[in-house]
Amino acid sequence: MPQLFSPVANTIARVVLIATLVVPFLALGAGYALMRSEYITGRSITTEQPVPFSHAHHVGQDGIDCRYCHTSVEKAAFAGIPPTHTCMTCHSQLFTNVAMLAPIRQSLAEHKPIHWNRVYRLPDYVYFDHSVHVNNGIGCSTCHGEVQTMPLIRQAVPLTMHWCLDCHRDPTRYLRPKDQIFNMSWSPPPDQAERGKRLLIEYHIDTEHLTDCSRCHR
Amino acid sequence: MSQVKQHPPASPSALNRRAALKLLGSGLALTLSSCGRPHEEIVPYVEMPEGLVPGVPMKFATTLALAGYGRGALAISVDGRPIKIEGNPRHPASLGATDVFAEAEIMSLYDPDRAKAPRTKDDVVTWDAFAQALFAQMQQEKARHGAGLRIVTGRITSPTLLRQINALLTQYPEARWYSYEPISDDAAFDGSMLAYGRRLAALPRLADAAVVLSLDADPLGAGPRQIADARAFSQRRTRQAQPFLRLYTVEPEWTLTGANSDHRLALHPDLIRNFALAVTAQMQGENAPDLPDPVAHFAKICADDLKANKSKALVLVGRRQPPELHALGHWLNAQLNAPVDFIAPADGNPLGDAQALQTLSRDLDDGRVETLAIVGANPVYDTPADLGLAHKIGKVAFSVHLGLHENETADQCSWRLPMSHTLESWSDLRAFDGTASIVQPLILPLYDSRQAHDLLGLMAGTIAPSAYDLVRQTWQAQRSGGDFDTWWKQTLHDGVVANSAAARVATGAPKRPDVKPAQAARGLSLLLGADPSVWDGRFANNAWLQECPHPFTKEVWGHGIYLSPGDARRLNIADRETIEVWHDSASLRAPARVREGQADGVIAVELGYGRTRAGAIGNGIGVNAYPLRTTASPWLISDVSLRGTGEIRNVPLLQHNFDLEGDGKDLYPVLTLAELAQGKQPPDHDYENRPTLYAKVNYDSYAWAMVIDTSLCIGCNACVVACQAENNVPVIGPEEVAMGRDMHWLRVDRYVPDPERPPGFQPVPCMHCEQAPCEPVCPVAASVHDGEGLNAQVYNRCIGTRFCQSNCPYKVRRFNWFGYADGQEYADLGADSVRASHNPDVTVRGRGVMEKCTYCIQRINRARHHAEIVDQPIPDGAVVTACQAACPTRAITFGNRNSKASAITALRREPHHYALLGHLGTRPRTTYLARLRNPNPAMQEKAQA
Amino acid sequence: MSLQAEPPEIERWTEPPGRSYLAISELVAAPLLERRQWRWRAWWIAFGIASGLTLIMAICMSWLFATGVGIFGNNTTIVWGLPIADYVWWIGIGNAGTLISSMLLLMRQRWRASINRFAEAMTLFAATIAGLFPIMHLGRPEYFYWLLPYPNTMVVWPQWRSALIWDFWAISSYILFSILFWYVGLIPDLATLRDRAKTAFPRSFYGALALGWRGSARHWYFYEHYHLTMACLAVPLVVSLHSVVGMDFAASLMPGWQESIFPPYFVVGAMYSGFAMVVLLTALVRWGFNLQPLITAEHFNVMAKIMLAASIIMGLSYLTEWFAAWYHGERAERWLVGFEFTGGYAPVYWCMLLFNCIVPQLFWFVRIRCSIVAVVVIAILINVGMWLERIEIVWNTLSHDFLPSMWRIFIPTFWDWALLFSSLGFFGFLYLLLARIFPMVSMHETRRLIYEESHQ
Repeated sequence: MPQLFSPVANTIARVVLIATLVVPFLALGAGYALMRSEYITGRSITTEQPVPFSHAHHVGQDGIDCRYCHTSVEKAAFAGIPPTHTCMTCHSQLFTNVAMLAPIRQSLAEHKPIHWNRVYRLPDYVYFDHSVHVNNGIGCSTCHGEVQTMPLIRQAVPLTMHWCLDCHRDPTRYLRPKDQIFNMSWSPPPDQAERGKRLLIEYHIDTEHLTDCSRCHR
Repeated sequence: MSQVKQHPPASPSALNRRAALKLLGSGLALTLSSCGRPHEEIVPYVEMPEGLVPGVPMKFATTLALAGYGRGALAISVDGRPIKIEGNPRHPASLGATDVFAEAEIMSLYDPDRAKAPRTKDDVVTWDAFAQALFAQMQQEKARHGAGLRIVTGRITSPTLLRQINALLTQYPEARWYSYEPISDDAAFDGSMLAYGRRLAALPRLADAAVVLSLDADPLGAGPRQIADARAFSQRRTRQAQPFLRLYTVEPEWTLTGANSDHRLALHPDLIRNFALAVTAQMQGENAPDLPDPVAHFAKICADDLKANKSKALVLVGRRQPPELHALGHWLNAQLNAPVDFIAPADGNPLGDAQALQTLSRDLDDGRVETLAIVGANPVYDTPADLGLAHKIGKVAFSVHLGLHENETADQCSWRLPMSHTLESWSDLRAFDGTASIVQPLILPLYDSRQAHDLLGLMAGTIAPSAYDLVRQTWQAQRSGGDFDTWWKQTLHDGVVANSAAARVATGAPKRPDVKPAQAARGLSLLLGADPSVWDGRFANNAWLQECPHPFTKEVWGHGIYLSPGDARRLNIADRETIEVWHDSASLRAPARVREGQADGVIAVELGYGRTRAGAIGNGIGVNAYPLRTTASPWLISDVSLRGTGEIRNVPLLQHNFDLEGDGKDLYPVLTLAELAQGKQPPDHDYENRPTLYAKVNYDSYAWAMVIDTSLCIGCNACVVACQAENNVPVIGPEEVAMGRDMHWLRVDRYVPDPERPPGFQPVPCMHCEQAPCEPVCPVAASVHDGEGLNAQVYNRCIGTRFCQSNCPYKVRRFNWFGYADGQEYADLGADSVRASHNPDVTVRGRGVMEKCTYCIQRINRARHHAEIVDQPIPDGAVVTACQAACPTRAITFGNRNSKASAITALRREPHHYALLGHLGTRPRTTYLARLRNPNPAMQEKAQA
Repeated sequence: MSLQAEPPEIERWTEPPGRSYLAISELVAAPLLERRQWRWRAWWIAFGIASGLTLIMAICMSWLFATGVGIFGNNTTIVWGLPIADYVWWIGIGNAGTLISSMLLLMRQRWRASINRFAEAMTLFAATIAGLFPIMHLGRPEYFYWLLPYPNTMVVWPQWRSALIWDFWAISSYILFSILFWYVGLIPDLATLRDRAKTAFPRSFYGALALGWRGSARHWYFYEHYHLTMACLAVPLVVSLHSVVGMDFAASLMPGWQESIFPPYFVVGAMYSGFAMVVLLTALVRWGFNLQPLITAEHFNVMAKIMLAASIIMGLSYLTEWFAAWYHGERAERWLVGFEFTGGYAPVYWCMLLFNCIVPQLFWFVRIRCSIVAVVVIAILINVGMWLERIEIVWNTLSHDFLPSMWRIFIPTFWDWALLFSSLGFFGFLYLLLARIFPMVSMHETRRLIYEESHQ
C-alpha cells in the first residue's frame, strides 16, 4: 500500500495544532492594539472646519484668553463655542473682506449659525463637566494640549475611558494652582508629586469616589 | 433661581430661540459617517441671548390652565427648550407642587398631532387669507350689530381675554358669548343661589378643620383645586398635627378622597341626600328619614362628631350632587360655623354651563347664528347629546375653530385654526381663589399658530396689538402710580400678581332649603365623572397621561365600566367582560370592572374617552360616554339597561394583583393614632439592627436616602408623570402594556390591607439597597454601588441579561424590550418634536438595556458640581428629586442621612418608620412611614357589635 | 445508586451475528464506505425535515436580532423566559454522553462500549446548542463577549461574583473538553476507516483526521492513559458544570431559587434527561444502522434502571423543596409552593410531576424495561417533563415573589415556541450529518468488549 501522505503532512499537522492554541491570543492582542490606535481614538487627527480658525494665531500670537470665546468654561459643563457675534467684535474691524472669513460675515448677515465640526467628541452617555475640572486644578492644556501651537485644532489625547480613569485615580500628577489653569504652556514642576498632594487637599478632592461610575455616567 | 424672561415675540433673541429649536434636530445629533468615527457638529448661536448659558437649565414662572383656572408653574428650559414643569411655591393653586396635567403639558406642547397651519375644509391657507374672510364676515355682522355672531369658549378667567370679549360685545351689542365646561360646577353655583341668593364660590379651609364630612365631594381628586386642598389636608394628617383631621366620606364610587378617609360609606347617589337629611336631623334633634341600619348609624356618628367639633367641622358636597343638597351643605356649615370662605367666582359666566349651551343650541335651531367662533372648546364632542350640537354646528355658514388639535369640532367648522400652546403664549389667568398670574411663553410658537387674544383681536377688526401688549395694557390699567415696568418684571419673576386674590364676600345666614327625601332608584343608574388622566377628554392625545395608571384599577390606555360585586353577581357579569350599557338610543360597549366599595345599583364610567379626532395617541381609546349625557341630569342617568356579551378582554393594567393573601400588614402597615400612642411599631421598623454576615459598609461622604410618608400619599400620580418627564421615560403603548410590560421608574402600588378599610397607596421607586441584590448577579458590572450609596445602573455597560431584575425583590427595574425611545417608538412618538422634549442631562436608553430610578442623579450631580466649584458641602434640601418636587402633599422627602440636621434624619427616627421587606437584609435607602388613621372609636364599637 | 450493580458474569452485551471483529467493522463501517449499497432513504427524509427546522431557527434568530428580545413573551416581572429553560434543558441533555463514557468507564460498565460514541456526539451538539440560548436571550447579544476578561481601553472587567460568569466558563470549558474527549476516542476508528476505504477521498479524509494512527503498542499505551485521565477529569467537570447551572438560580434571594439543594438536584436532573435522550437516540441508531447485534434489549433494561433511580432522586428533591419552603418560614417561600400547585401554571406543574416522578415508576416492572417501545415512550415523556420542570423553575419564582403588586403571568409567544422546536431540528441536522460521516459505534471498544466477553 503506497504512502497516503507526503512527509510534509506531519509539519502541517503540527502547525495546525499549535495555531489552534496560539492564534486566539494573537487575535486578542491585535484587537487591543487596534482599539488603542489613533485610527480608533482619533487622537492627533486634524479636522477640517468651515472657517480655518487658528488657535495658533489667536492664542499663540494675539494672546487672547480662552474665556474670551469659551465663556461658560468656568460655570457650565459646556465650555461654549463663541456666537458669530463674538467673532465680529474684532472682525468687523480687522480683515473685514478676507475671503477666509466670508462664512462668518454671511452667518451674521443671514442670521444662520456656523456649523463647526466637533473635535473633542465624547460618547452621549459620558457627562463631562468643564466647570468642575477648571475650578479644581485641571488646566486646559492637560486635555487640549498646547493649542497655541495648533493652526487647526486637533484631539491631543486619546479620550479613551482608560485615559480618563488614569487621572481620576490619581489627579496629583496634573493638579495646578488656580492661577495656572489657563496657562497653555504649563508643565509640571520637578516637585509636582508633593505640590499635587498639597493641591489635592486644597481643592478638597476626594479621590476615593472619583472613579464611581455615577460620576460620569447617568 | 427663577429669573425674569420677557420678550415681545419679534425680538432677535427670540428668533435665536427659534433657531436653536430648529437646529436641535441636526445640532448635536449624531450622523454616522463612512469612516466609522461618528461625525458631530456644534452649532453655536449667531447672537447669544443674554443670560443664557448653553446646557444650563433655567426656570421661568408661568401659569397653566386646567378647566380655565390657573395653576402657577416654574417651567425648566434648556437652550430655549421647555423640558419640565415644576410648581411655583408663590402660587396658591400650586404651592410648589404639580398635578399630572401640569406635568404632562410638556408632552402636549411637543405633541406631533398638533394643528400646524390654518385650514379650510379642503386645503391649507394663510392667516392673511383667513383675516380677509373674517373681515368681510364681520362687516356683515356690523350691519346687524352682531346679531349673527356667537362666541363659544371654555371657562375663561383671564382678565385680558374677558376684557377683549366685553369690548367685542359692546362693539356688537347683539352678539352673544357662551362659555361652558363639560366638568361643570353648575350645581355648586346654583346651590349658592338657593342658599345665599347669589352666585358664589365656596373655599373650604381644610387646614382649619378637625372633622370633615364629604358627600360625594372629591377635594383630593383631580381638578384645579387638587393641589391646594391636598396640601391643606396633609397638614392635618401628620403625626404632629394637632388636631389630626378625621375624614368621613359618603360616595357612590371610589374617589381619592374616599380612599384617604377614615370612614367611608358607599351609597347610591340618590340616597346621599337622605343621608344628608339624616345628619341634619340628628344635629337638629329632628326625626330622620328611615335609612338602612348601618347607614343611619354612620349618619348618627358623623352628626355627633361634627357637632362636637363646632367651628372645626366641615361638610363638603360634590359637584355631582343637586343644587339643593349644596344649599343644605351651606346651611349645615353655617350651623357648624365651619371654616369656609366665599368669593365671587373668577369666571365671567353669569349663565352657567347648561343654560349657555341650551341657549346656543336654541340660537342654532332658529338659524340666528351666522358667524360662530369656537375658541379652545370642543362642543361637538363634549356637550350633552340631547342638544345635538354635533349636527347643528356643521350647518353654520361661517364657523371658526381655534384649538391645539384639529378635533371633532374643527371637523364641523369651515375654518380650522391652530392655537398656540400655553407655553408659547402671553396671557393671564386667575386661580380658583381669584389670584391672578401671568402666562409667559417659554418658546416661540413651533407652528404657524395664534392664541385666543389674537383671534379676538382680529374679530375686533382693529390693528390688533400683540398678546404681550394686551396683557400689559390690562395690568397697566389696574395699576395706579408706581413704576409699571419694575412691577411687571417682579410679577413675571414671582409668577403671581401680588395680592390679587378675590376679596372674601361677607354672606348673611343661608336659607335652609326644603329638601325632600329621595326614593331609592329602582333600576340601574349610570354615574359619569371626570377622568383622572384625560379629565374631560382634552388630554386624550397626551401619551404620558394615557399611560398614567388609573389610581384604583391601575388601568392604562382606556377605562372600564365599574360595577359593585353585588350587581355583578346579580347580572352575572364577570370582571373584564365586555358589557353593553344603553339608555334611549345611546349605548356604550366597554369592559366591566368589578370593584369592591362601589355602591349597589349604580354603575360608573369616566368621561373623556372614545375620541375620534384626538390624534394618533387618543383616537379610539376607550368609549365616549357623552352621548348618554343629558342637560337635565349631566351626571346621573337612571334606568339604564345592561347586557353582558360573554367576551372577556385583556385590559392593559400596570398592577395585576391587589389581593395580599392577608399579608398586607407587613408590606403596607396601617396604624391608628391609638395604636401609635400605645407604642405599636410597624414590622421591619428596626431593620437596620438585624444580624448580618456582611461587613458594614461605611458611607463617609453623603448618604442619599428617601422617606415616603404613606399617610400623606393620596395616590394622585403626579410623581409618576413627573418622573417620566424628568428622566426621558418612554411611553410603550397599550399592546406592550397588555403583555405585562411597563417603563415607569416610579410606580404607585395600591394596597387593600383588609376589606373593611379603604385602600392605600404606596409609591415604589428604586430602594437603592445598601446590600443590593441586583449588584452581585450582574456579569458585566453594569449594576454598581457608588460611594454615596446610590445603586447606579450603567446603561452603556448593560448587555441585558436581566439577572438584576429577576433578583430584585421589589421589581423596580425596567427593561427596554424594544427601542421604546430609540427607533421603535409607539405610534408617532418618534417624531423630532417629541425628541425635543427630552431632558439633555439624562441618557435616552437604547434597546436591550435595563434602566431604573436613579434618585434623579442628574440633579444630585448638578448640586455636587456647584458645591465643588464653591467648595462648600451640599446643603440639605439642595437636591430635590422630580417626584418630591411634584408631590402635592409633600409625602416624599429626600436628603443626606449622614447629616444629623437633615429632614430625612428626623423622619427616619419617627416611630412608624419602616423599610419595605426590610427583613430580607437589603438595607434599602428608600424607606416609608406607615399609614396613620384616625378612626372614630364609636364606629369601631359598632363594628365589633 | 444502581450504577454500582455489577452485571452477572454470564451476561453478554452482544448478539451472535456481531461477535467477531470483522462483523463489527462490517456493521459499523459499511454505511460509511459502501454508500452505493447502503439504503439512505430514511436518512434523506429525516435530513430534509431537520434542515427545514434549521432554516426556521435561522429565521427566528435573524428576526430576533433585527427587532429585539421583546419578541419573546417576557414581561417586566418575568424577565427570564423560554430561552433560559431551553438552555438548562439542552445543557442537561449535554451531560449524559460524558457521564456514560467516563462515569460508566470508571465503574467498569462494559455495556457502555456500544453506545458511548453517539452519546458523546449528542453531548457535543446539545452543549453547543445550549450555549446559543443565553446569548439569544441577551438584550444586546452583540456584546456577549463582555463576559470574557479581555484587555480593553475601558479597563473594565467581568464581575466575578455573578453566577453567569461562572456559567460562561463552565460551558465553554465543557464544550472544549467534550470535543477533545470525543475526537480522541474516535481516532482508532478513523484509522480503521482509512484502511478499509477503497477510494481516494475517504482514504485521505479519514487519514488526515486519524493523525497517523498505526495502532502500535506505543499508540495504544498513550491512548489508554489519556482516555482514562480524561475520564477521571470528566466526572468532576460534569458535576461542576451542572452545579454552576444550578447556581444561576440558587445564588439569588428569590423564593424557590435560593436553595442549597439546587446544585446536586440539577446534576441528577441533567443525568436524568440526558439518559432519556440517549435511550431515544439508541433506539434510532439501532434501527437506522441495523445494529441489533451490538445494541441489545439489555442496554435499554439497564438504562431504564438508571432512569428509575434518577426519577426517585428527583421526587425526593421536590419533597425537599416543599419542606424547605415550609421550614424556612419566609412568607414568600410558602406562598410560592401554594402557587405552584394552584396558581396560573398549576397544570404544567402537575404534568411535570406526573412525567418525572409517577410514570417512570413503571420501570419497576422488568417487562416494561425490556420492551424497547415502552422504554422509548417513557423516555420521551421524561424529556418533556424535564423541560416543563425547567420552565416551572423560571416562571413560578419570577411570577410570584415578594411584592404581590408585581405578580404577573407569562404567556409564551410564537417565537418562544418556534425557537424551542427549531432548535430540536438543528440538533437533528448536526446529528444526521455526523452519522453520515463518522462511525456511530466505537469499533475498537466493541471489539474489546467481545474479546472480554469471550475470555471471561
